[in-house]
Amino acid sequence: MVVSLKDSIKLLGIIVISFCAVFVCTFFLNFYLDALEIENLVTEQTRAMYEAQLATAEFTCAISGSVLAAIAIVMLVFYIKLYIDSHLKQIGILKAIGYSNGKIAARFWVFGIGVFIGATLGFASGYAAMPMIYKSLLIDGLPQIEIGFHLVLPLVLIVAPTAVFSAISCGYAYFALRRPVSSMLRGQVRFKPEKQKSKTATKNKEHSFLFVMCFKTLGGKKSLAFFVAFACFSYSAMVQMGCSMKRLSTGFMGIMILIIGVVLAVVSLFMALTSLIKANAKNIAIMRAFGYKMKECALAMLFCYVPFALIGFSIGTVYQFVLLSLMVNIVYKDVASVPDYSFSVPVFFITLASFLILYTAAMAIYTYKMSKISVKEVMAEN
Amino acid sequence: MIKAHKIYKSFQSGAVQVLKGVSLEIADGDFAVILGASGSGKSTLMSVLSGLERPDSGTVVFGNQDITAMNDKQLTEFRRDKVGFIFQQYYLLSHLSVENNVKLGADLAGNKNFREIIEQVGLKGKFKSKPSELSGGEQQRVCIARALAKNPEILFLDEPTGALDEKTGREVLDYISRLKSERGFTMIMVTHNENIAQMANTVIRMNSGEITEVYKNNSPKTAFEIGW
Repeated sequence: MVVSLKDSIKLLGIIVISFCAVFVCTFFLNFYLDALEIENLVTEQTRAMYEAQLATAEFTCAISGSVLAAIAIVMLVFYIKLYIDSHLKQIGILKAIGYSNGKIAARFWVFGIGVFIGATLGFASGYAAMPMIYKSLLIDGLPQIEIGFHLVLPLVLIVAPTAVFSAISCGYAYFALRRPVSSMLRGQVRFKPEKQKSKTATKNKEHSFLFVMCFKTLGGKKSLAFFVAFACFSYSAMVQMGCSMKRLSTGFMGIMILIIGVVLAVVSLFMALTSLIKANAKNIAIMRAFGYKMKECALAMLFCYVPFALIGFSIGTVYQFVLLSLMVNIVYKDVASVPDYSFSVPVFFITLASFLILYTAAMAIYTYKMSKISVKEVMAEN
Repeated sequence: MIKAHKIYKSFQSGAVQVLKGVSLEIADGDFAVILGASGSGKSTLMSVLSGLERPDSGTVVFGNQDITAMNDKQLTEFRRDKVGFIFQQYYLLSHLSVENNVKLGADLAGNKNFREIIEQVGLKGKFKSKPSELSGGEQQRVCIARALAKNPEILFLDEPTGALDEKTGREVLDYISRLKSERGFTMIMVTHNENIAQMANTVIRMNSGEITEVYKNNSPKTAFEIGW
């Protein structure tokens, strides 16, 4: 059949996002459940801090869990669409010989395996990191919270997401497979009809091929713009938040947030750009055969995503500022020992500079990757 | 003048020898057909002659430029300035309109009159159509327009009628040969079709990576005179 277990393991982006989401949720939810068990030991002096810790755990799980789950769903849908588009002929043959859409779509359950792998690793790592986390969340005046095992957590954080993502995979695949067999056999990817522009508008705006290519590449792969923006958002928000957390909470929490941010950013950007180059390999090959320089190919393929990267970075900056302000001014408002929080301009500029360096390096790496596309090999595929 | 001298090319780390010391000369303005069965090495030879692929050894001299000695950047410049391609599988950019596909070639030559070429190939009124909305013959015409819009000195054609029916194939060949006469560029066509060879001035026959025969055709036929 068309989809195999190997294809699921290729979903690196989803594996990493699942890992991050479950990693964070495992220790915060476990801490939350364990902390509830010592509620009767909480005194008036420690109540504010205790409740703030519980609120933090709830807040962090809700935000990181829901945001990362939403991103993983978008990523999954995007990957399935890309997968179907790149296997149109094979799937078309299956349909032609009598396989129903439902039967083919059912095979897409294996894409849930990626979530299972990421969630299991995240759960295990969350447990492994728990002693350090508990230490950092220790409340003065309260006894050390013992690490307990709660059976509900693996069910909620591993089994349920795997089942939900498998179901989404099958459902979306079923929807995406509803197209004529003949067009699938011809390898025709669906395009939305272009809006007709008036003749005068066309005459007035004569754009170069590279401009059109850049614009159409973006138009054809809008979801990639989302992932590029998300990568830059993650980097901006988590790196700045990690640096601020070092001051507000503990160094360990800060470093953990920073690492998660960088990993999410790198994986999302890697996934987005790899998909972009893969989907456009033939176009790049043709451009190169005709004599377009690498710089021009890179401009047509990659440049259009720069505004989205900058938007993602900007939103990330605002997001982390609002989130930390809310935490400090609302959740921890009754806790005396929490320091004041204000926007750190030096941290912003350091994050921006490192972001620009990393983004430029990513562009250079992918331009190099494009130069390695063999014109003849791409053409020989047909 | 294109001169290839003792071209060797292998794949899979030398396990498959595709070209075995091929030497040939093609004069400026010539219409040369490289004829051979599948696997004879004709497409690989075309890739080497056009600078898409580097030979393992041997030289390809175009005018006074040895393209086998060029680095990647120089080869790109060479293809940009001199070469046009028409492929059997069209390789049109499926998400772009006819107009923008042709612009791919036109922009490289700074050619602003590319719409005239689209009209000349009989696609007036199809400027905004996507390749998937066109028939095979129409798609091949877009390929022709794209290649011609960059005003190439030499046009490489890889089985340009391989995916077309007889009527459309003849029309396409006729159109290409008329354009060749008008513009005077050199044309090298790879095909397995013996009949098409009757249209060429020079016929180069290949078998198992070697040239087995080269002959001049003093009275080339038109696309409508050859068999199919």
